Amino acid sequence: MNNWILQTEGLTKKLGGKAVVNDLNLKMEKGDIYGFLGPNGAGKTTTIRMLLGLAKPTQGRIRIFGKDMQKERMAVLRKVGSLVEYPSYYGHLNAIENLEAVRRLLGVPKSRIDEVLSVVRLTKDAKRPVKGYSLGMKQRLGIATALLGQPELLVLDEPTNGLDPAGILEIRELIKSLPREQGVTILISSHLLSEIEQMATRVGIITKGRMIFQDSIDTLRERAQSKIRIGVSDPEAAWKQLLAGGYQADWDRRKLTIDRAPNETVAAMIASLVKHNFSVYRVEEEGASLEDIFLDLTGGEGSL
Amino acid sequence: MIMRVMAAELLKIRRKMIWFLVVLGPLGVVGLQAVNFGLRYDYLTKQYANDLWGGLINNVTMMMVPTLFMGLAILASMTAGIEHQTNAWKQTLALPITRTQVFTGKFLLSVLLLFCSSTLLIVGTVGLGAALGFDLGDVPYKHLLELIYYPYLAIMPFIALQVWLSVLMHNQAIPLTVGIVGTVFSMFSNRFDDWMPYKWPYLDNAADNPLFSVAAGVVTGIVVLAAGTLNFVRKDVK
Repeated sequence: MNNWILQTEGLTKKLGGKAVVNDLNLKMEKGDIYGFLGPNGAGKTTTIRMLLGLAKPTQGRIRIFGKDMQKERMAVLRKVGSLVEYPSYYGHLNAIENLEAVRRLLGVPKSRIDEVLSVVRLTKDAKRPVKGYSLGMKQRLGIATALLGQPELLVLDEPTNGLDPAGILEIRELIKSLPREQGVTILISSHLLSEIEQMATRVGIITKGRMIFQDSIDTLRERAQSKIRIGVSDPEAAWKQLLAGGYQADWDRRKLTIDRAPNETVAAMIASLVKHNFSVYRVEEEGASLEDIFLDLTGGEGSL
Repeated sequence: MIMRVMAAELLKIRRKMIWFLVVLGPLGVVGLQAVNFGLRYDYLTKQYANDLWGGLINNVTMMMVPTLFMGLAILASMTAGIEHQTNAWKQTLALPITRTQVFTGKFLLSVLLLFCSSTLLIVGTVGLGAALGFDLGDVPYKHLLELIYYPYLAIMPFIALQVWLSVLMHNQAIPLTVGIVGTVFSMFSNRFDDWMPYKWPYLDNAADNPLFSVAAGVVTGIVVLAAGTLNFVRKDVK
């Protein structure tokens, strides 16, 4: 046995002969806020559909709570709440009736409706038809619906899609508070790294159906170590000079950079450049953002 | 479990004009017969002098079958449309209920709504007869119930078919076209032999036993429902 709350093994989905999701091994631990990142069309939603049993995998296995999804779908889904892409709602009904329709299927006590409404702060508008709601309110109702069955795993696909900054902030705060207050594990997908960065504890990055990075957010941040860029006359010659002097330096035909190093080492490097008659224009720290890494990992085609 | 599904389905059709349609169907049939008998009262009461109630019931059921064909197509489309509108399928199917239950729920909802319509038609027919001054003591209840519930049972394959089409297709124009063309087609179905399903609800068969039509309808209805369920269970949800 392992302690993964959700685990996929070689998950593959082919649509029209093309692998939309390819050999995906996703792993989530209890209590994680797992940020599932990737550019549009990378296969995020397809993966989530398979996790929820809405689509059948071409190959591979899904285990949730240690149970095989194919065989024990009902038992698994009882403890999973979901919001896939844009929210589903019945526009002609009000929020309470919407939740009641789902509640009748789940068979949870009626008091849950008031509880989840207060979690997403919709109590005041609960008696209005949902078609008059703003997108942010509909998203919150979607999250309330997902929370109704007291799930242990919450799957949210792009919950901030199409929201304005205030709405995004609101949803983000709500999601961040959930593991604390409701004790759920959350899988949240997005194509916005900046979003995930502020919520997730663990990150999986997918592009063209393949998982290219999966680790804690801190490991991803470590990759974002800053570099020091040196502006210098004749950088190529300067680079060779630094290498000859036994220092680490990189020259990518545009800029000369050195990895982060102790102050003395940097000073010594500059001194050696000056000594060999290079004109040093700038010595500047270049902080690589997570977005650069994301673009780098996804091959630069990701929309951010 | 299926009771829970039905409870949820009944909640979802609130404020959707669906109940209005359920009433409108029988009301329309009774209303047209009221006009028919109102305008030609003397002629018709003379013609049916021996069996006033029987004449009325025959006139009602003649109009009822096409109305039933039309109504079931519209109801199936409207009840499926509730899910299509905001693609609520993905929410419903990610809940811990089987797809068989979801599909059967939609089917049973249409069956239930049409049962209400049929029952209202019985009430309406008796009411119309009374209003026309027919003797309420003479109502041939067995005959009346048979002539209304038998077509309702014989039309099961088409309820299953329309629910299947409406659930499967996002674009409701196709199931509705099938339903409307089917309604018109059914009116000419007496040209065919007894194998023709569109003929069954008219209870017209060579053996002259309406129960044959009912049996064929119910059995075929179960087969179509099973086929639709199988198809729905395998389908990936968008």
